[in-house]
Amino acid sequence: MKDQRLAVLIAVIILITCIGAALTLGRYRIGVATLGEIISLSLRGNESSPALATPTLVLWSVRLPRVVIAIIVGAALAVAGAVFQSLFRNPLVSPGILGVTSGASFGATLAIFIAGNSALAIGGSAFLWGLIAVALAYQIGRRSGNSVTSLVLSGVIVSALFTAGVSFLRYQADPYQHLPAMVFWSMGSFNSIVWADALRALILIVPGLAAIYLLRWWLNPIALGDEDAMALGINVPKARVVYVLIGTLIVAASVASSGNIQWVGLVVPHMARMIVGSDHDVLIPFTALLGGIFMLIMDTLARILPGGEIPVGILTAILGAPFFAYLLITNEKRGGWQN
Amino acid sequence: MDTALAVVAMSFDYRKKQVLHSISFSVARGAICGLLGPNASGKTTLLKCINGVLQPRAGAVQANGKAIGDLSRQEIARLMAVVPQQTSLVFAFTALQMVIMGRAARLDTLRLPSRQDRADAERALVALGIGSLSGRFFNELSGGERQLVLLARALFQDTPILLLDEPTSHLDFRNQFMIMDVVRDMTRKNGLATVVSLHDPNLAARYCTQLVVLKDGALYREGPTEIVFERRTLEEVYGMEVVIERTAGRPATVMPRAADGRA
Repeated sequence: MKDQRLAVLIAVIILITCIGAALTLGRYRIGVATLGEIISLSLRGNESSPALATPTLVLWSVRLPRVVIAIIVGAALAVAGAVFQSLFRNPLVSPGILGVTSGASFGATLAIFIAGNSALAIGGSAFLWGLIAVALAYQIGRRSGNSVTSLVLSGVIVSALFTAGVSFLRYQADPYQHLPAMVFWSMGSFNSIVWADALRALILIVPGLAAIYLLRWWLNPIALGDEDAMALGINVPKARVVYVLIGTLIVAASVASSGNIQWVGLVVPHMARMIVGSDHDVLIPFTALLGGIFMLIMDTLARILPGGEIPVGILTAILGAPFFAYLLITNEKRGGWQN
Repeated sequence: MDTALAVVAMSFDYRKKQVLHSISFSVARGAICGLLGPNASGKTTLLKCINGVLQPRAGAVQANGKAIGDLSRQEIARLMAVVPQQTSLVFAFTALQMVIMGRAARLDTLRLPSRQDRADAERALVALGIGSLSGRFFNELSGGERQLVLLARALFQDTPILLLDEPTSHLDFRNQFMIMDVVRDMTRKNGLATVVSLHDPNLAARYCTQLVVLKDGALYREGPTEIVFERRTLEEVYGMEVVIERTAGRPATVMPRAADGRA
């Protein structure tokens, strides 16, 4: 217990440090002293001096919304990954397991195809089609036995369907007007996020995360398996609907705001389990912190690496995939996934 | 007789194939009822029907006078606890975390187990002599230790009825008796109505006060162990010839009568 609290505390300190670094680093450099000055001025409610006008604008209008959304989306994807892994009793499950990411990708691509590059249309359509995809997967799963396996398989079916839809739309898209936006969106990025985008995502994600936090302990018995959980007094089908609904909500809101960022929802919950164990009491808040830290570091790297800004989804995959290979190999040495 | 559990004319079908056919028996407080029968005779299915995980086609289960079919999962879990057939976990939980889950049926949805719950769970481990396992990971424990942890969890669930699905099947010789000793002691001490399915008729003879003998999903015989446990019944059910040794009038061991007559 003590070690776990210490881990949470260390994660909080790292997150605060990373926020400071992310706010100061970038093409427009803001010194730590300047950052401190701006914060203390705004805390006291004073008007800032003309010399601080530009750094304040960059900080408040460009960096801060981006930092906030990176943290919250990282936390949402990671927590949804942890929830789905426990729900499906499989550490290889990612938040996209029930088709939400492929559905959202289809929605975004469709919006670009029809309406061009409007952020609101893309976000709304991604969110809507993400929910439709999960509803479809859930119905197929329920009608084919309502077991973990049937749900996973129906997720595969729905994902395949929507991925084909995305390919079709891309094939039909205008290669100069629409295709670049579709491709960029599919890679995922926090580029050009403004407060309006950030707030739209926050309104859905923060209550979702809070609900999962409040309901976190019940994932322990559910992770033991359906029959065991039922014998312990849990209405498993009902509980599963609740968690799937909340998980889908926060993933769809994340994908709608920043595109398709892969690997975070798979790798971060793993790291969290290795550090604090599987008791969801601690695992859920720790996963949220770690997801926020991971995404913030990735996005800051995506901004400051030489050679211009790249989509953060590429970075998470470049770093996530080898790390996952490493986990797979070390885990095999310790006796494989089943132990 | 203070009946805690009654199974009344229960039948269960799986894809039109009848798995259980009109089973009836009852178990009183302080009694251990053994389910005997070869593989695929319906022991596990019967336990799942009693627990309400499977819905019987006909008949009813009554726990403390209430029909299981009318109760929610939570209400059932306050009446009966299950020791599942041994499994390993996908995720790493400690022994203590496993036991605390026995509280699930008594917690409010938005509440976490309290400090008091943790202390009580710790005591449930100590009561079975495994307090030292508290912080160890369940998957790293031996078969006997795991079974004790699952038993501690079931007892921590604090129910009048206890169901065990072949608790000895993965255990070595010594641990089989160890686990059954604990089951017997706790059944007597807490006045539980215990139902246990067993592979080994010797264990049934030693520990069970009454037996339910199944053959092909039908109730072959049922009643007190002294009456039911006899050569003809076992030979019919298991399809082999046996001899029963008795010590002081009680059946003690049963073994096959070999074809060459040496046994």
